Amino acid sequence: MKSIIQSAILILLVAGILLFINAELNKGSKSGTGTITVYNWGEYIDPDLIKQFEEETGIKVIYETFDSNEGMMSKIEQGGTAYDISVPSEYMIEMMKEKNLLLPVDYSKIPNIKHIDPYFLDLPFDPGNQFSVPYFWGTVGIAYNPTLLEGQTFESWDDLWDPSLKQRVILVDSARETIGMGLNSLGYSLNSTDLGELREATDKLKTLSPNVKAVIGDEVTQLMINNEAAVSLTWSGQAADMMYENEDIDYVVPEEGSNLWFDNIVIPKTAKNIDGAHAFINFMLDPEVAAQNADYVGYSTPNLSALDLMDPEVVEDERFYPDIETRTHLEVYKNLGLELLGVYNELFLEFKMDMK
Amino acid sequence: MERLGKLPKLYLAIVFIILYAPIFYLIFYSFNSGGGMSNFEEFTWEHYAAVFEDKRLIIIVLNTIIIALLSALLSTTIGVIGALAIYFMRNKKMRNAVLSLNNILMVSPDVIIGASFLILFTMIGVKLGFASVLISHIAFSIPIVVIMVLPKLSEMNTSLIDAALDLGASRKDVMTRVILPFIKPGIFAGFFLALTYSLDDFAVTFFVTGNGFSTLSVEIYSMARTGISLTINALSGLIFIVTVALVIGYYAISRKTKMPLAGVKK
Repeated sequence: MKSIIQSAILILLVAGILLFINAELNKGSKSGTGTITVYNWGEYIDPDLIKQFEEETGIKVIYETFDSNEGMMSKIEQGGTAYDISVPSEYMIEMMKEKNLLLPVDYSKIPNIKHIDPYFLDLPFDPGNQFSVPYFWGTVGIAYNPTLLEGQTFESWDDLWDPSLKQRVILVDSARETIGMGLNSLGYSLNSTDLGELREATDKLKTLSPNVKAVIGDEVTQLMINNEAAVSLTWSGQAADMMYENEDIDYVVPEEGSNLWFDNIVIPKTAKNIDGAHAFINFMLDPEVAAQNADYVGYSTPNLSALDLMDPEVVEDERFYPDIETRTHLEVYKNLGLELLGVYNELFLEFKMDMK
Repeated sequence: MERLGKLPKLYLAIVFIILYAPIFYLIFYSFNSGGGMSNFEEFTWEHYAAVFEDKRLIIIVLNTIIIALLSALLSTTIGVIGALAIYFMRNKKMRNAVLSLNNILMVSPDVIIGASFLILFTMIGVKLGFASVLISHIAFSIPIVVIMVLPKLSEMNTSLIDAALDLGASRKDVMTRVILPFIKPGIFAGFFLALTYSLDDFAVTFFVTGNGFSTLSVEIYSMARTGISLTINALSGLIFIVTVALVIGYYAISRKTKMPLAGVKK
């Protein structure tokens, strides 16, 4: 009995000491007028910028991270935490708008909006950018390793169907990306609502199955880096990660067109410090800040003025900053509604089951 | 002890290699000066330095440990009382029912527990953060403690209690001098299991964190989208070494004091 009580006291003591240390560590950063709570993807901001923002404005930033759009939305929907800023992807912005989870952005408080490339404003998922401000963007394309493929290159989606790629192509386990690729390869819209086109795309995908090695998620990055996979359908950000680690890898957005995706900053309904949230958005749109952030995160920034401040080698890389001509082939996902999304998922499942 | 044959030895070796290889692989790359885990460039301590420089990360680590210690302690206390209550329940049907309810909580998916806690907390207005994480960790650890303590109780010979009562021990004495010392190994096992459960829980914690409070598992999961940075490797290495030290320390202590597993003890 004695030893049990002793251990309990010891544990309490240790916890108490740790709590004290924690409080001390927290104390240093607690100063200034207000706080804002930022809810962002993991590793999606340069931590130095948070410090800089705190110093410049006196607003303390509570920073939290999430790992999926869906998880993020469920927490905002439930309330409980006063998130002032979040960074969902475009389809999630549309969904959150429908559920009335977002506050409109007041542009009189965001003069830095002028630095954003107009090309990235007023897109179908948020007309007039009423609720969201561009943060990063990218594309869907093909990452490939020429050294494993005897120098073969890719210009069009149809190149994936090349018989020489037997059992070498990796697809991403996501209905809209994969079915979308089928649609794109036939020259149809990524947002097709035509059941005939969707059927055609699925049937075409089925003929790809001899080439498909696997349908997986984020693990693909490591496989590509380790030269264990030669070709994969992937997002530009992921491709950038691969290329950073393995110089042989190349990335291309096929000429028929592809998906253009966005992660935008929004102010959720739960926001308590709305002025602080606007100040944060305005700060992130500052060209110098945006340039530093893009440099750290490695995704493409929509900030035109920031591009001038960045390494020209990066900015001129057409793989990540495609020219206007290529961009005209790119499409942003529209919210298709639950029913049609169900059709996409079903067709995708059918394709997966068809694979041997 | 009988000596092991060659084949069992080999089997054992393979099992341990499989268990430990990923950890050592991870720790190995924490010394890599290159950015990733693909090729080893040069030896460096920079990732370890980065761990100690990142105040946010350290706060998160401390949070994780505090939550684990407190939730394990409280859930052990509650769980032991619960186990005793179940053990002394007269009605057999009732006892089985309570035990099944306990087991259902053990096997039900974390996601469901997490989501229901989120709904509960937001409904009754508990602010998400330290308290909500602590409460939910205590909640999912209690069934584990009960499961660890109950077998010890049923192992106990009831005549021990009868004898103590015959010799004039009060109910309190029976509890503190007979029962608790006997089930002590179960209590400690329950505590340590609750500790590890709390340390590595992601799903429940993800739902109930908020207001800047975060634990290591949630943080690492969020980082994984852009590839895990080697700082995490370094941190895992440190935690692994501390754990090994603790286990060695525990054995050293328990060997010295060689506590008897049963019997009367002050």
